[in-house]
Amino acid sequence: MAISVPLHQLTYSFFSNPQGQWKWCAKPSYSFSNNSQNNIRAIKASVETPPFPLFQNPKLEETPADGLEPADPDFYKIGYVRSMRAYGVEFKEGPDGFGVFASKDIEPRRRARLVMQIPLELMLTIRQKLPWMFFPDIVPLGHPIFDIINSTDPETDWDLRLACLLLYAFDQDDNFWQLYGDFLPNADECTSLLLATEEDLMELQDPNLASTMREQQKRAREFWEKNWHSGVPLKIKRLAHDPERFIWAVSIAQSRCINMQVRIGALVQDANMLIPYADMLNHSFQPNCFFHWRFKDRMLEVMVNAGQHVRRGEEMTVNYMHGQMNDMLMQRYGFSSPVNPWNVIQFSGDARIHLDSFLSVFNISGLPEEYYHNSKISSDEESFIDGAVIAAARTLPTWSDGDVPLVPSIERKAVKELQEECRQMLAEFPTTSKQDQKMLDSMKEPRRTLEAAIKYRLHRKLFIDKVIKALDIYQDRILF
Amino acid sequence: MATLSAAWMYQDRGLGPVDYSDDFITRKPNFNRFQTSFLGSFPTGILQTRFRLNNLLRRTSSVRRIKCEKNDELPEYVSVERPPYYSYFDSASGQLEPASGARASIPGEEYWPEGTASRVRAARAPEPTGESTGSPSYGKHPGSRRKKYKASVRARSSEVSVESSASLEPEVSEDATEDPKESSSEYVVYETESKAEGETEYELDKKLGRPHPFIDPKVRKPIEEPLSSEELWWNWRKSDKEQWSRWQRRRPDVETVFLKAMAETGQIKLYGEHPTLTETALYRARRHLFKEERLKAEQERLERIGPIAYYSEWVKAWKRDTSREAIQKHYEETGEDENTQLIEMFCHQTDREYRIMMGNDIRIKRDPLAMRLQEDQIKQIWGGDPVYPTVNYIQDPDEVIDYRGPDFHEPTPNMLDYLKEHGKVISREELEEILAKEKTEEVEMTDMDEAMAQAVDIGEKDEEGEDSDLDADADDEEEKITRNWSVLKSTPQLQKSKAKPKKDGPMSLEEAVDDSENLTDFLLDFDEED
Repeated sequence: MAISVPLHQLTYSFFSNPQGQWKWCAKPSYSFSNNSQNNIRAIKASVETPPFPLFQNPKLEETPADGLEPADPDFYKIGYVRSMRAYGVEFKEGPDGFGVFASKDIEPRRRARLVMQIPLELMLTIRQKLPWMFFPDIVPLGHPIFDIINSTDPETDWDLRLACLLLYAFDQDDNFWQLYGDFLPNADECTSLLLATEEDLMELQDPNLASTMREQQKRAREFWEKNWHSGVPLKIKRLAHDPERFIWAVSIAQSRCINMQVRIGALVQDANMLIPYADMLNHSFQPNCFFHWRFKDRMLEVMVNAGQHVRRGEEMTVNYMHGQMNDMLMQRYGFSSPVNPWNVIQFSGDARIHLDSFLSVFNISGLPEEYYHNSKISSDEESFIDGAVIAAARTLPTWSDGDVPLVPSIERKAVKELQEECRQMLAEFPTTSKQDQKMLDSMKEPRRTLEAAIKYRLHRKLFIDKVIKALDIYQDRILF
Repeated sequence: MATLSAAWMYQDRGLGPVDYSDDFITRKPNFNRFQTSFLGSFPTGILQTRFRLNNLLRRTSSVRRIKCEKNDELPEYVSVERPPYYSYFDSASGQLEPASGARASIPGEEYWPEGTASRVRAARAPEPTGESTGSPSYGKHPGSRRKKYKASVRARSSEVSVESSASLEPEVSEDATEDPKESSSEYVVYETESKAEGETEYELDKKLGRPHPFIDPKVRKPIEEPLSSEELWWNWRKSDKEQWSRWQRRRPDVETVFLKAMAETGQIKLYGEHPTLTETALYRARRHLFKEERLKAEQERLERIGPIAYYSEWVKAWKRDTSREAIQKHYEETGEDENTQLIEMFCHQTDREYRIMMGNDIRIKRDPLAMRLQEDQIKQIWGGDPVYPTVNYIQDPDEVIDYRGPDFHEPTPNMLDYLKEHGKVISREELEEILAKEKTEEVEMTDMDEAMAQAVDIGEKDEEGEDSDLDADADDEEEKITRNWSVLKSTPQLQKSKAKPKKDGPMSLEEAVDDSENLTDFLLDFDEED
C-alpha cells in the first residue's frame, strides 16, 4: 500500500555559491517530503523556451532544472556490453549523487514491469552463512584474501567480508568492478558515518548513534590493522594501502549491500550482494520498484510495482530497510529522512490518546504495520500528512477499546501532556531546527558526513515538531 | 495560507462532485472507525502551504462531511490482436498465405518457450550511444568518473591524480570506448567525383531511369554455343541408355498403379503414360466422392424402402412382399412387428448369402465392379508372395489352399464323432443291440458267426479277385477314411459308398463304375475278360 504523500523527486537546497560549483553529492540520496516547517523551497529554475522553436535549433539543455545531468554514457555501456539491460530508465547524476529516473511513462499494469536486469557475473555475492560461497567465484583458492575472509566472524562481519571482496575485485584484472568503481562515491562523497570524524559524530546530537558509529569505526580499523599489518604479502597490501581505503570499502559494502534470498543452482541461500546498477536506486518509503531474483538466468530484476503509474522523469526508488528508525538508516546507509514512517519517540508517562479517532482525523487507514494515508476519503489537498504523521500514529501512546468513545476532556489533557513531552524533548537538543537549517544553509562546502549528521538531527527535530502539530490538529478535530 | 483556507472552505461548500448516494454517510459527531483500504495517489508537486489553525477551520470542521470511498477501477485493457503483418489472404486460393512465402509466420509471444521473451527483449534493447569523456582508472581511483567529483578535482587541483589520469588517458581511451566509436574514425571517405566521370551512357541511363537494355552492351558477352543435352545440368531428356539397374525404375504407388490399370482397362483417361500427381489426386478424390455418394445412396435407400426390403436382396428364399404396406398388414394380422419379421426373413438365408452380405469372406468377391488388377500390378503394390517369390513356382490361382472347412473356426473337433470313429464310444442303439445279442444268443450264435466268418466264398475267380481287391481297397480306403475322420464327417457319402459292396453280391456295371476309384480299377484283370 502506498502512502500518498506529496513528494518531490529530489529536494535540493540550492545555495548560491560564489564559486558556482555544485559540490554536494550525497550518496545515497533520498527523497523526502517538502513539508518541512522551515523555508526550504525548491527553486525551480525556469527553463527558457525559445519563442519559435521551429525556427531555431532545439538547444540541448546543459543543466536541466533539477541539476540532473545524464550520467556518463560509459556507465551504462560497460554494463550493456556485459548483458545488463535497462529498459525505460536512465541514470542521471545530480548534486546529491546518482539516481535512476524513468525515461518514459509506464502505465499501471497488473504485472510488475521489468526495468533493469543485471546478470550474476557483474555482482559480488557472498553467502551469509557458512560455508561462504562467492558468486561469481573470483577468489582463487590459494589467495591470502581467502584466509582473511575466513577469519571473520560468521554472524556479524558480513560487511568486512564484502569489503575484502570488493577490494579484491578492484585489484583483479578484467573485473567489472574495476570499471564500475569509478562511479562509486569516493571517500569524500560518501556520507556513511564510518568515514565521519569525531566532530561529525558530535554533531549528531545522538549519543547512542555516535557511540555505535565509533564502535563500528574501531572495528573496521582493527580489522585492517590485524590483516594488513606490515608483514602481509603484497597481494594483500596493495588492496588497501591505508586504513581509509579499507574503511571506505566497508562503508560502501554496508551502504550498498543488498541482502536477498536467492536461489542459485539448487541452493536457496541468503546472500549479501553488491549489485552494480541496482545500488544506484535511491531509497523511499513509498517505493516504486522492488528487486526480484530471476533464477532462470541468474539475473537480478528491478521491477516496477504492479499497478504503479510512473511518469516520465520520476525517480525509481526502492525501500532499503523496512521498519527501521532513522538511526538505523543513518548507521547503515548514512542518510536520514524526516518522513520516516517508522520513527519512534519514547514517551514516558500515562497520557494516551484514542487511536481510532487519531487515525480518522488524518484519514490513515490500514493495519498498524502498514498505515497509509487514504486520500480517497479526504478529497481535499492535505499536504500535511506524510510519513511523519504516520510515524506519529504508530509511536504515540494510544488506547483503543472497541466501541468505547473518547472523552474529549481527557483526550485534550492527554494531548497536552504529550505535546509538553515533545517540547521538552526538543528543548533538550542544544540547537533548534531553525538553527540547524541555518547552519546547513550557511555552510559552503561541508563534508558529506557533517552535512549528513546535521541533517539527521534536523530531521529528528522536524519529526518531533510534526508530532506536536499533528496533536494540535487532532485536538481541534476531536469534536465534530 | 489563502489557499489553505480556501481549501477548507471549498471542502465545506463544494461538495457537488462528491457522491452522497453511497452508503455510510454519517453526520454524527463521532468519527466512526471505518477503515477502508485501496490505493490512492496523491498529487505531487504541491507547493507547501503554511498550516494555520484559525477559527474558520474550527467552524468548517464541524460541518465537515465524511466522504465515502469510490472505487474507480482501472479500465480493462483488452489485448489487441497482433496485426497480421506476416500473412495475407491469397487472392487466388483464398487461403491465408505467408507474405514471404517461405514459411508460416513465427508464432507470437504467447507461444514462445519460457525465457525467450526476456532474451528477445534483452537483445532488442538499444545500444547505448554517447561517448564518455573520462577514462577508467581500473580500481585505483574509485569515484573518479563521477561528474561532481571531477569538478571538485579540478578545483582542488591535486596534480598527481590529474597527471596520472592524463597519462592514462591516451593509453586507455581506446580501451574505454568500446567498438562502435572507433570504427567511424577508420573510415576513409571516398570521393564521389571520380565515379561521375567514369559513368558510361548505359549507367547514366540506368541511373536516370531511361529505357536501357538489361546488360551493359560493353560488358555483354556474346552467347556461346549452347550446351549439349548431356552437359546441361538440368537434363530433362531421358537418357537413351537403358537403365543399368532395376532400382532406377519408377517407384510404384498404390494410387498410380491403380490409375494406370484403370487407364488400361479404359475406365479413365490419362494424359500421358503415367498418371501425374494432379491426376492421381484428382482421381483419388473422385473415387472417394463416389464411394461416399454410393454409401449415402445406399443409406438413403435403406431408409426409403425399409430394412426388410433392403436386406431381402440377400435372402433369395424370401419371396413375399417386402413393401411397407405389406409389413404393416402382416403386423396387423399377426402382431409380429418389423423386427420379428426381419428375424423370420433372416432364418431363410443361407450361409453363403450371409457371408456375401457381411462381406468378411475373402474368397467371395465383394464388389463385382472392382477393378481387377493384373498380377504384375498387384505385385508392384503389395509385393509378391513372400514365401515363394520366384516366378517359377506355379500355383493354381483358384485353389483354395488349406481350407479347413466351414467350421474351421471351431477347431475343437466333435468329440463324440471322433470317439465313435475310433470305436471308443458306441451309440445307444448299438449298445442295446449288443447287449441284447449277448443275453440271448451267446453260445449258439458265436459258433455260427465264426463259421460264417471263416467260410470263404469260393466263387469264380473274377469275383474272388474283385472281392479280394475290393476288400483290400475297401480296407485301405476304410483305413484312409478313418485317418481323415474329418473328411469322413464332412462327406457322409464316402461312408455309404464304401459300405455298399460288402453287403451286396456281384454288382452291376453302374455300381462297379461308381464304386471304383478310377478307371484303373478295371485294368487289373483286363486280359481275362472277353
